[in-house]
Amino acid sequence: MFVDFFYKLKEVGIPVSPTSFLTLHKAFDRGLVGSLNDFYTAARSILIKSERYFDTFDQVFAHYFEGAELPDYDELALDEMARVMLEEWLKDPQTAAQLLGVDEKMLNQMSPEELIEYFKERLKDQTERHDGGGRWIGTGGFSPVGHSGYHPDGMRVGGISRNKSAVKVAMDRRYKDYSRTGPLTQAHIGEALKRLRNMIPTGPKDMVNIDETIYRTMKNGGEIEIIFDRSLKDRLKVVLAIDNGGWSMDPYIPVVQTLFDYARAQFKELKTYFFHNTVYDVLWEDPARYRKPQKVDDFTRFDPETRFILVGDASMAPYELMATDGSIHVEERSGLPSIERLKFIATLFPHAVWLNPVMSPHWRYTRTITIIGDIFPMFELSLDGLEKAIAHLMAK
Amino acid sequence: MTGNENLMQFTGATRYVLDDELARIVNISMALEMPLLLKGEPGTGKTMLAHAIAESLGMPLIVLNVKSSMKLVEALYQYDTLTRLNDSRFGDSSRDVSNIEEYIRMGKIGQAFTADTRTVLLIDEIDKADTDFQDDMLDVLDQMEFDIIEIDKTVRAKHRPVIIITSNAKKDLSDPFLGRCNFHHIAFPDPEMMRRIVHVHFPSIDGDLMKQSVTAFYRLRDLDAVEKRPATRELINWIRALQTDPDFKPKQLAKGEVPYLGVLFKKSQDYSQAQNVVNRRRLF
Repeated sequence: MFVDFFYKLKEVGIPVSPTSFLTLHKAFDRGLVGSLNDFYTAARSILIKSERYFDTFDQVFAHYFEGAELPDYDELALDEMARVMLEEWLKDPQTAAQLLGVDEKMLNQMSPEELIEYFKERLKDQTERHDGGGRWIGTGGFSPVGHSGYHPDGMRVGGISRNKSAVKVAMDRRYKDYSRTGPLTQAHIGEALKRLRNMIPTGPKDMVNIDETIYRTMKNGGEIEIIFDRSLKDRLKVVLAIDNGGWSMDPYIPVVQTLFDYARAQFKELKTYFFHNTVYDVLWEDPARYRKPQKVDDFTRFDPETRFILVGDASMAPYELMATDGSIHVEERSGLPSIERLKFIATLFPHAVWLNPVMSPHWRYTRTITIIGDIFPMFELSLDGLEKAIAHLMAK
Repeated sequence: MTGNENLMQFTGATRYVLDDELARIVNISMALEMPLLLKGEPGTGKTMLAHAIAESLGMPLIVLNVKSSMKLVEALYQYDTLTRLNDSRFGDSSRDVSNIEEYIRMGKIGQAFTADTRTVLLIDEIDKADTDFQDDMLDVLDQMEFDIIEIDKTVRAKHRPVIIITSNAKKDLSDPFLGRCNFHHIAFPDPEMMRRIVHVHFPSIDGDLMKQSVTAFYRLRDLDAVEKRPATRELINWIRALQTDPDFKPKQLAKGEVPYLGVLFKKSQDYSQAQNVVNRRRLF
């Protein structure tokens, strides 16, 4: 009975176990389920083990028993494909543009939303008609997001980024909806703090606990057993470096700051710095990145035990990271490429992590995220990611 | 198990407002003889539910408060070596020193197993303990027996207790653990439900006070960036505080004054955040 239902749950990604399905049947056998209401509560309490899946369960239930529409997962997959295509294409307009047989002027005039729709149409065409590659071959050398300094929709001015561009940000909004571990919001503060509270240092076990030693020795019938406790250690120093340039980071900055401000008391020292996209010669103490510079070279004087936390989407044009004068701000140009600066920080502070509000399934589509991910251990700026990041920071 | 135990139905208790769904889940778990795992925000009545079940079914309640350092054996039984050593030195008790069994004390789970009647066993805040504790404990609860190694004796449950486990989700519970429990998440009550809950606690509450305080409470709960949101428990205490203040008039709440904010917000940052908003009258 209800095997379809069970498999439907599995299909939409709820972890359901056969054992619990059998338990549900035990409930049927005992005559505990007399109505649809009973079935609903019984099935949910027996099969679903986390409130995170309640919503999905409700949808499947409504679909199965009341014929409600399930969200179209094919449609979502199509979105994803269209997005990947766009990103690939934006990364390398020259080569990738050869795959599109359309009027480039028409594309140039499209808004990001229209572009996505356009790509989806093309994908549908392709899946339906199996045209092969023919329709996709075409001209080269244009980009609708203004890689030469201008975007038609004005979502970003200055022509800095070819990759994390308006189109991608527009799509960000789409995948937020079906991600189970979405990025952190103000409402998560309480939960997130619980994770942060784990940031307390543990010293070696080298202090004798007299009471426990006496008790254990008694239990052993006089055979002496010495119990050691962890010795007290000074509280942690934390450096928080936030990417506050560009509006794509805006929603996350207050969340991260509130979070660490609340936890401030448990740290010995909490310093917050700002940067734009990536780190060059200096980090800034003021959010405007203008008045109070802090030289990266001076970090050598910091305690190497300091926990160094970078927050940023790590999405930028590759040259910003790799080129010697990569910075988009003229006054920041220096002889060293940013990637060397990041590596320098990573060697200075062995306990460093990068928190990224871009969710991890999408990391591999942005080159710079992959590169930075090789330098710093990167985690999502979500509850789960934060938990893993803290565990990493606190590891020996 | 005797057949008539299935007939025992949990329908609610004097101090607990029960929604239908939760009642059905409790009854199904009892009938399936599976532990019921309850999650939910602190202060939504997880622990109260166990008290209510015990009261409604007329069973004794045994509470095991889990601590982070707890070993499973402490929950099962304790071998009181100290008393035995004492007895053997001074010999002034009626106990037989050579009989170890006399020095075995039952822990909370042991008590539930050896009780003469069926009991409600509440295992409170299971997530504090480590994973080993949780898994081992479920083995014991599954098999309804454990061994006392000191005297090589097996304790079997006379009656299978009704087991309620609560978790504040500090840590994630392991999959095998979840697999053996029924699960329910107590959502935060909506204002309608909340009024019923308040009414159960204050049967003679003034209608105006009820309305104003619940409204103000839900607005305060909606504040952003608060570490610990006030829950049912805080509301009840707050109303109690408001009632004892002779100078307080429900009208004040409507005007945007919120006295005794400290009853609702327990963390200093939360408190100042709330104070800020209230002072600026942005709330109303």
